Amino acid sequence: MVTLLLHALALLVLPFLSTGVIHRTRSLWSGRRGPPLMQSAHDVLRLLRKKAVYGDCTTPIFRIAPWVFLVTALASAAIAPILGAPPLLSFAFDFVWFAYVWGLGRVAIMLAALDTGSSFEGMGSAREATFSTLVEPALFLVLGAFCLTSGANTLSGALALRPVLGEASLAVWFLGVLALIIVLQVETSRMPVDDPTTHLELTMIHEVMVLDHGGPDLAAIQYGSAVKLQVGISILATLLDPWSSAGGWLSRATHLTFCLGVAVAIGTVESLVARLRLATVPKYVAVAVGAAAVALLATTWQAGSTP
Amino acid sequence: MLTSVLLALPVLLLGAILAIALRSNRAAAAAALLTQLVASVLVLVGVADLLAGGPPIEVTWSWSPPIDRIPFRLDALSAFFLAWSLPMTLLGTVYAVGYLRPYFAKGRHGGPHFALLNLVSASFVLVYSTQNALVFLLGWELAAVAAWLLVIWDYKNQKVRFAGFNYLVSTHVGLFVLVAALMLLHSKTGSMDFAAFGPFLAIPSPARDTIFLLLGISFALKSAFFPFHTWLPRAHSAAPAHVSALMSGVIHKAGLFGFLRFTLLMGRPDEWMGWSVLAFGALSALFGVLHTSTQRDLKRLLGYSSTENVGIAAMGFGVGYLGWSWGVPALAVAGFAGGLLHLVNHALFKCLLFYAAGAVYRAAHTVDIERLGGLARRMPWTASLFLLGALAIAALPPLNGFVSEVVIYSGLLSGAAPTGAADVALVAAAALLAFVGGVSALSMTRAFGVVFLGNPRERSIPAGEDPPAAMVLPMVLHAALALCLGVVPELGLRLVRSTVALLPLPVDLAIALAPLGHLVWATRALAVALGVSGLVAWWRGRHARRTPTWGCGVAAGTPRMQYTGSSFTEQFARIFESFLPALRREQLPRGPFPRAPGRVATHHADPVEQRMFEVLGQGEEVVVKGSARLSEQPGLAFAGGLLVLGLVGAILMGAVQPW
Repeated sequence: MVTLLLHALALLVLPFLSTGVIHRTRSLWSGRRGPPLMQSAHDVLRLLRKKAVYGDCTTPIFRIAPWVFLVTALASAAIAPILGAPPLLSFAFDFVWFAYVWGLGRVAIMLAALDTGSSFEGMGSAREATFSTLVEPALFLVLGAFCLTSGANTLSGALALRPVLGEASLAVWFLGVLALIIVLQVETSRMPVDDPTTHLELTMIHEVMVLDHGGPDLAAIQYGSAVKLQVGISILATLLDPWSSAGGWLSRATHLTFCLGVAVAIGTVESLVARLRLATVPKYVAVAVGAAAVALLATTWQAGSTP
Repeated sequence: MLTSVLLALPVLLLGAILAIALRSNRAAAAAALLTQLVASVLVLVGVADLLAGGPPIEVTWSWSPPIDRIPFRLDALSAFFLAWSLPMTLLGTVYAVGYLRPYFAKGRHGGPHFALLNLVSASFVLVYSTQNALVFLLGWELAAVAAWLLVIWDYKNQKVRFAGFNYLVSTHVGLFVLVAALMLLHSKTGSMDFAAFGPFLAIPSPARDTIFLLLGISFALKSAFFPFHTWLPRAHSAAPAHVSALMSGVIHKAGLFGFLRFTLLMGRPDEWMGWSVLAFGALSALFGVLHTSTQRDLKRLLGYSSTENVGIAAMGFGVGYLGWSWGVPALAVAGFAGGLLHLVNHALFKCLLFYAAGAVYRAAHTVDIERLGGLARRMPWTASLFLLGALAIAALPPLNGFVSEVVIYSGLLSGAAPTGAADVALVAAAALLAFVGGVSALSMTRAFGVVFLGNPRERSIPAGEDPPAAMVLPMVLHAALALCLGVVPELGLRLVRSTVALLPLPVDLAIALAPLGHLVWATRALAVALGVSGLVAWWRGRHARRTPTWGCGVAAGTPRMQYTGSSFTEQFARIFESFLPALRREQLPRGPFPRAPGRVATHHADPVEQRMFEVLGQGEEVVVKGSARLSEQPGLAFAGGLLVLGLVGAILMGAVQPW
């Protein structure tokens, strides 16, 4: 019960905090003070008090989609190590479930975008669809490689993989982390794949799909995206944090520190790197697929070397 | 109980005769529906015990020579296929009553069509229950010819006739290969009984490998695997919607039935067979799904998705083969169960999607994705049912497609292979399956989003409405079952359980899939959360303020400026250009003041079909040129003839030589 409450609390606070940290980092890099850390929480609360307005040609799909997206984001957070290992839920092949649940949320948002009849939103939807198909195999290759190395079949088991110097697991871990970074950049629409703060619709991916949403619906999407971002940050932090599987309060504390570190790193990358041209994004994602494939091949070397 | 199944045969034949004999369409439809209903009930009563794990039942009929005796045998595999094939054909016939009504109003007689639907059902009973190769072939051919005649319902259209002919030729090429395999078996065993094939196939030999390959090709042609799929998109876009649905969802599953039947006769397979089935399935899934992303014709798109889905099922069977040959029962069970489950699931959502596409055709008189748009507001039933089918086929939770894919994933990602390299290959196959799922989501989002959402793209297209109840009812039933099998997968697993138990493996399905129990509960919880939040959002937003869509990118111009199907996949198709060759026909405006209007037309052709026709075309040329030269040079003709004679002789020698 306590864990449940703790996780619920974490899900209410951490997504906004991470978004705030990223914004603050970006502000500091560009010499500004930046908004308060919990600014995005205020934004969501403000949106919740408003009323939604719907386009003429929209169907109920447009109204339902944001909430489907939020539910899928929260569902994925239940099996992600939000507060470090162990996650709230963990079951066999939960990472397959995880990938498809994210897929459902993505399809919901893409359909809502097409529902408006706007070409801009169709554009965003097409981009999201294209890039996500490329990301999917990379995710499965990485998690499959992790599972083969650690003999686990859950997400938390796969993420418990630790590199051992001089063994294949080092290569698997390193390449896997590299691939996962790219995968999560695409999935959570971060730079250099997608610029969440751009102002030109022609270059957007995720933001352009939600142009027509307002009020509580937009709040659901913003919160959902923040939760997805937090899930991604937690996954990376768990992989990077050497004490993550130790358990107890210490590992929670180190986990949160690493989450903070990842958020600062994201902010830094977003301040220093320009967004890729859309035509180059598939090549960038191909790097992830390639790295993941090599990570998978590296597992055989290990399997061959151990008697 | 077998009598009850076989009793369905005369009932169905009676219905066929009545349907042809009766003058009025209404009476013909009633005869077909009634007899199919009776037959379905008879069959379900007959197989219920087998599905619950009862022992197989056998009956032998004496017959005049050359067949002498016809052994019938119902086991769990037959029961599994019969249990859904006949009821789904019945639903298809119900749909046909509504779908063909406009044709009936013009005075067309539908009797033969209904009779053919009855014959299709009868062919299921024959194919799925007989143990005699000749009767099997009879049922096989009956289904093929009936399907052809059903496809060319609109026979006055030349395109439809061509598609039908294309199908007829392809399916008979498959038949020849099948006959070759069965003749080979006959020559080895001296019998036409499946029971006699068993002991021969159980012993590994080069002949067994040859027969495996021949049967594989024949069944692949029947089920439209890549690269034997070229007839399928054409036939599906030409046929009436219920015929496409039944062909894709039910009739062509006979190919996979044949595959499984001979797998059971063969017993423990070799490892290479497993790898080739897996690779073949993966290739079909990949190729099929890539082509769903670019199709303009909604029914062609669904046709390619059949190739994709039988590929996914075959990936499951490949895993099953591998697990069996390695002696890893849990892996084998997961593979076979996943594959079988995917067959039912595919039948459920594919029929649903074809029925919805038929409703679109009926309303708008076209299924060209680029010309449609905004149908959801006029056809809410069709739209929501299509959406459900689309989500199911994209394997998204909490629908049934997800369940069968998860079972297959659980095999691929189990890490249970004996060597590291094999494990890596299986994980790579899982990644490919993930890619297939992603592309399928893209295609289905595109198909649904462009056809049903946004604004109508062309004014000339009539403002349609939802179809009559006869068409909605089958869709609703299919959709309900798709949802039901997604949330309560135990039902689907119970259906396949006794079939999986036919494999001589020391593990029960329930135990092998026990680790997935938590995932099922998580999916159920997700379904509840989605349902509640969706309902609340829908309820709350009923009276919200409405304004035009935000103007930027919308305001000016016409609804044709909306994002179209081809713009949706433009970037994706460019990445996979080598698999998805684009054809572009253009006549651009010339000069500074062009007089003639320019035009550009793009479409994506099927590279396999293109190449096939090219080769066929050139082949004709080669023969023509060669034969023209022959009369000039008789010596060359003699040499050529000798060469052919030698080749044929060598092949025959090779065939008779005792392997």
